[in-house]
Amino acid sequence: MSLISLQAVSKNYRLGNIEVPALRGVNLNIERGEFAALWGPSGSGKSSLLNLIGLVDMPSAGSVWLDDHDTAGLDDDQRAELRNHAIGFVFQGFNLIPVLSALENVMLPLTIRGVARKTAHAAATRRLAEVSLSDFAHHRPDQLSGGQRQRVAVARALVTDPLIVIADEPTANLDAKTGHQIIALMRDLNHRLKVTFLFSTHDPRLIDEVDRLIRLADGQIETVAEGVLQ
Amino acid sequence: MIAITLALRNLWKNRRRSLATLLAIAVGFAAINLFAGYIHNVYFGLRTSAIHGEGLGHLTVAKRGFFERGSLKPERYVFSPDELKRLDTLLRQQHGVQVISPRLSASGLVSNGKLSTIFIAEGESPDAANRIRPRVTAHLSADKPDAGLLSQGLADILGATPGSNLVTFTSTLAGQTNALDLEMLSAWNTGTAATNDKSLRLPLAYVQRLLDTEGASRVVVLFDDATDANAARAALAPKLAAAGFDVDIRTWTDLSNFYRQVKSMFDLIFLFLFSIVFIVVLMSIVNTLSMSVMERVREIGTLRALGMRRRGIVSIFAAEGAALGAMGCLLGVLATVVIGNGVNFAHITYTPPSSSNPVLLSVAVLPATLIGTLLLLSIVSMIAACWPARRAAHIEIVDALGHV
Repeated sequence: MSLISLQAVSKNYRLGNIEVPALRGVNLNIERGEFAALWGPSGSGKSSLLNLIGLVDMPSAGSVWLDDHDTAGLDDDQRAELRNHAIGFVFQGFNLIPVLSALENVMLPLTIRGVARKTAHAAATRRLAEVSLSDFAHHRPDQLSGGQRQRVAVARALVTDPLIVIADEPTANLDAKTGHQIIALMRDLNHRLKVTFLFSTHDPRLIDEVDRLIRLADGQIETVAEGVLQ
Repeated sequence: MIAITLALRNLWKNRRRSLATLLAIAVGFAAINLFAGYIHNVYFGLRTSAIHGEGLGHLTVAKRGFFERGSLKPERYVFSPDELKRLDTLLRQQHGVQVISPRLSASGLVSNGKLSTIFIAEGESPDAANRIRPRVTAHLSADKPDAGLLSQGLADILGATPGSNLVTFTSTLAGQTNALDLEMLSAWNTGTAATNDKSLRLPLAYVQRLLDTEGASRVVVLFDDATDANAARAALAPKLAAAGFDVDIRTWTDLSNFYRQVKSMFDLIFLFLFSIVFIVVLMSIVNTLSMSVMERVREIGTLRALGMRRRGIVSIFAAEGAALGAMGCLLGVLATVVIGNGVNFAHITYTPPSSSNPVLLSVAVLPATLIGTLLLLSIVSMIAACWPARRAAHIEIVDALGHV
């Protein structure tokens, strides 16, 4: 059974009196350990799809299955708990909490879960070391470069040992070199830790890095290219 | 814990805005407590003035109907000497009794031989009078049964000085005209302009001779300071009724119209002031936290995406509101203590309306009121935070993450 399974998923947004379809009958499976990318132009539905997989939004129709569980019947608290335990997020704008240090930001998902401070501290320290930011543990986000911030975000996404890390345009706010470094880092973590990564991009230079490229256009999956990297 | 950490750090991050809110709360807090401290002293002064200055004691016992019709038919409401003796025995059994003082009032004309003016007189035993009014400098003398005290205004009208000989005219309880010589012992200030030009304090025996009676119209009882007048009345009423007395027992607050009027006025002003401060604190917190929510929409979205529940978001902003309230109140405590002591140290005096004496403007710093206000305003702050906090918690995650 796939880690993620989307069955006939549609998503419509309401703009005034008009219903605008963002996704139209999408069927998609994501397997464990995959390093996959959603690729497509702006407005193709990449972010909408990631939002549904990340359980931060609800489909208008169809169902989203995570680890053999239909997420449709979950209430808000159950969805929050599932996000905390099973999903890591990396955002385009880093989305670090400005008043917390890099270490505290990485500890945050565990703190929200209620994990003891000592345990959370140890896990966050280890994850920061994995993204080569041990020396910046006590720096606030405004004291870090864009690339360093995104590394902190990656460490934060991994600290709960999630089933999948979802990254929405993780390199969009970075220069090309740093963007490649972030993708390389994610790729390395995918290999070493066997964590599933699904990210969106419209940067054609990054598509060579992935196992599978899922092309979206007008809210539908256009093609799925398997084994791109190979 | 994370809620408190985020609350405190965000308050510090926006310290200029936080300081403005803290000052609004602190000023409101200090205004409430300084005014509460001021009226506490006013009430204490008026209480002392009524119980010991006016000589109302804590309780006054009179025959039923005296307080309503006693001035029209005074002869109907006079306790006989035997009744006074029995009353004295019953009253002395009450815990905390310090002074029992039979009283008899009279009114009429007082003359210096050339000029006559009206008087209202209170007759009481010199010993009891002096014990009820320990701080009054003018005292009746047991050795001078025909000597009395004149209010300062009355003495001025009559041009009387200590040792002056005057004459009092009145009607006896039977309706006969009567006159007695009176020697002025000294003058005292009643404290109120309405009575300072017509009051006499005389020995009970003198007023009894003036009204041609051996009784007294009421009995004033002074308890020790810790006694609650209402509780003492409740305890006394059945005992006196069982002994066959059909009496009406009034507390000093029942009899002091001035105290009740001033208290109700100040209580209303306090309520008005408190309401304004309440609204100011409420609006300051709501405004500050609403701005904070607006600025942190993405942060809220991020926390929700990372698994924080809605109530976790509410707790962050509730903690921020409570922290603002508590810190503002602590600043307010400091301001209250400093300003209160400053006012007391400055020895400012003023003359209240209808008063014949200047009084000291003093402010009591009341720990119970400080703690009560601190708790109340902190809770108000937390409640005020709930509205923006709930709004923050119900922002859709997708919208919040996309917020710029």
